[in-house]
Amino acid sequence: MSKGQYRVGHRRSRLIPVLGAVVVSLLLAGCGKDKPQVTVGLITKQETNPFFVTMREVAQKTAGEDNVKLLTATGKSDVDNASQVAAIENMTARGAKGILITPADSTAIVPAIEKARRAGLIVIALDTPTQPGSAVDALYATDNRKAGELIGRYAKAKAAGSDPKIAMLDLAPGITSGQLRHDGFLSGFGIGPGDPEIVGSVNTEGNKVKARAGMAQLLKAHPDINVVYTVNEPAAFGAADALKAAGKSDRDVVLVSVDGGCDAIKKGIRPGIIDATAQQYPENMANKGVEAIAAAARGGPKPSGYLDTGVELITDAPVKGLPSKNEAFGVRNCWGKRP
Amino acid sequence: MAATSVTQADSHPKARLVYPKLTIPFILLILCFAAWGSAANLTDVLVGVFRNIFDMSNFQSALVQFAYYGAYFSLAIPAALINRRYGYKTGVLTGLGLAALGGLLFIPASRLLQYSFFLLALFVLAAGLSILETSANPFVIAMGPERSATQRLNLAQAFNPVGANIGVLLGAVLILPNITSEAKKTIMGPAELRRTQESDLSLVLGPYLGIASVLILIWLLIAFRKMSTPAEEVQGEGSSGALGRLWRNRHYRYGVAAQFFNVAAQVCSWTFTIQYAQDVVGVPTEHSGWYLQASLILFLFSRFLMTYLLGKFRPTLLLALMGALGVVLCGIAMFSLNMVGLYAVVGISLSLSLMFPTIYGVALQGMGEDTKFGAAGLVMAILGGALLPMVHGRVMDQVGAALAYAVPGACLALVTCYALFDLRTNRGGGQLVAEGAHH
Repeated sequence: MSKGQYRVGHRRSRLIPVLGAVVVSLLLAGCGKDKPQVTVGLITKQETNPFFVTMREVAQKTAGEDNVKLLTATGKSDVDNASQVAAIENMTARGAKGILITPADSTAIVPAIEKARRAGLIVIALDTPTQPGSAVDALYATDNRKAGELIGRYAKAKAAGSDPKIAMLDLAPGITSGQLRHDGFLSGFGIGPGDPEIVGSVNTEGNKVKARAGMAQLLKAHPDINVVYTVNEPAAFGAADALKAAGKSDRDVVLVSVDGGCDAIKKGIRPGIIDATAQQYPENMANKGVEAIAAAARGGPKPSGYLDTGVELITDAPVKGLPSKNEAFGVRNCWGKRP
Repeated sequence: MAATSVTQADSHPKARLVYPKLTIPFILLILCFAAWGSAANLTDVLVGVFRNIFDMSNFQSALVQFAYYGAYFSLAIPAALINRRYGYKTGVLTGLGLAALGGLLFIPASRLLQYSFFLLALFVLAAGLSILETSANPFVIAMGPERSATQRLNLAQAFNPVGANIGVLLGAVLILPNITSEAKKTIMGPAELRRTQESDLSLVLGPYLGIASVLILIWLLIAFRKMSTPAEEVQGEGSSGALGRLWRNRHYRYGVAAQFFNVAAQVCSWTFTIQYAQDVVGVPTEHSGWYLQASLILFLFSRFLMTYLLGKFRPTLLLALMGALGVVLCGIAMFSLNMVGLYAVVGISLSLSLMFPTIYGVALQGMGEDTKFGAAGLVMAILGGALLPMVHGRVMDQVGAALAYAVPGACLALVTCYALFDLRTNRGGGQLVAEGAHH
């Protein structure tokens, strides 16, 4: 190869400063939050349940993006009302414009909420409604009935062609979310309370150990159970243990649940132990809640009524005519511990 | 080998890097090397991003790579013709202009919200970069004395992985953390979904406009800088019968196939790293880009390590070992559905790092006058990067992100077979042909 020689001019390049300016402009794109700061409180039931941890983390992220100062507090357990009452008073005193709360006791918390509202705060219940519902400005929660319906329809389709023998692993009497899921499942399956296809029910309190014991008891009386409804995923894993101990394979029984936690998607849906689950999104509860209070405090509309925070049927064995998302979607959008 | 004659006195013991007064043009060309590295690896990020924004299958999102590498493949010969007829400077300017146009086409694409327009924009961008790359390599070689040609080319090419890392960084910092989550979209109505799609696509637009701006700037600086292009070489058309000779040479023939599968394995691995992190392990979207970044950094540093090891061991022995390692890592990725699997996916870059230059050198070893013609075939094996990601995407849609790593695993197994073939047929030693040295 032969080559010629270059002749170049003497101008000095201003390339580097110009490029620097382009890069800086790019990096600055998307910044520039000039909204007035708003203080918002978030009170969850407890910090051991990953559902509430996710809620707090998303609220903190949203707050950071929306110039919101977020105050957080949590109870010591699912039934710790006293801590929540103290947190409401504390946040009111610290100038919060609104509070997001997952009530540990739907009724006992109402006086504290009403006091805060009289002081001018906006209160939104997340996940769990208050009794009465009018005690708060708005409720942002999963449509639990719809969640139950989705897994009911799925179980019906999967059990088609067989003689369904249904076991109901419920939450506990008088808890609204559990009752709505139960009713939704029956509706989705196309049956009513007391239908002969339901061979037995047990209250599990959403606990794996109690669910395992309850399922074992039901199997003893009805070894031909082939459809199992569980109110949440710990209960589903308890049921799966009992089914395995009774010599039943994953293919013998249709096992459905509600929640969509990361553990359940990876260890339940992925290996086929749980056939389908209705995934709920604490992310949307927290995100929409923070945004709504911040917007109202800045002169926007005051939140009111009920916001459905979404639910999707997750399964790796979809059935015809029932929209669902696969396990990969479930993993991407699950709540709980993430790497 | 490099240029056969020089017009500059280079009798000093150590040849200067570039001819006098060519420092600035050389720096500008280095920026070009970085620019196409950025664009290429930002595309890896885009596959996952488009899957989210347009709610499409993995196969459909892999069309991004088909458009990108398909353009690279299609434009390789036209680019050579432009250089031959109009010179390297014209080739560089054509490439820069076309690539900048591709970047600017992201503006109407993001307004129209049509995936096909983004594919068109990517095709034009990659077409420009293909011409740019074809022109810039010989341009760099011709910018200084022959003795320092390899050093010059290596220096310029070192900026390609730097650019590649910047490309992924742009995606990891500017796009992925700000993409609307699928969970949020589950409660949106059609109007809000459309607004979200617009704002997410504007995130994609930003980095490409940035790349287009840089390319336009370089175009202006080169276009208005007075420089003569080097005299064109006499093309080796006298190498009649080269195709037949090449075809009869099994080392070359299998080498092209090995390069096809190597590029395929590389593009598949990098294209679907983010999806593996998200779908299999559950890494949040905003953090998932960092694993691709880690892959590229590992690739970069491994290249230095492999350069050292290549001086100690027979290249195809190392190629066989690294190919086998890649197969094992793909196997781990398929069956360890957790962080170990993700680390294995990142680790594949270690095995990939020596493959392109090694296959290139082994396949062209002892080719004599057919080297240049043969090199074109090896470069065109980039087609593997256009085709196999679609296969990977289709498999992923059927069996999931983890098991789909069987696709790059199979590609790496075939590369290993090539290395074993070379070891068994034992052609003896001899120096390998370095990438770009035939220009």
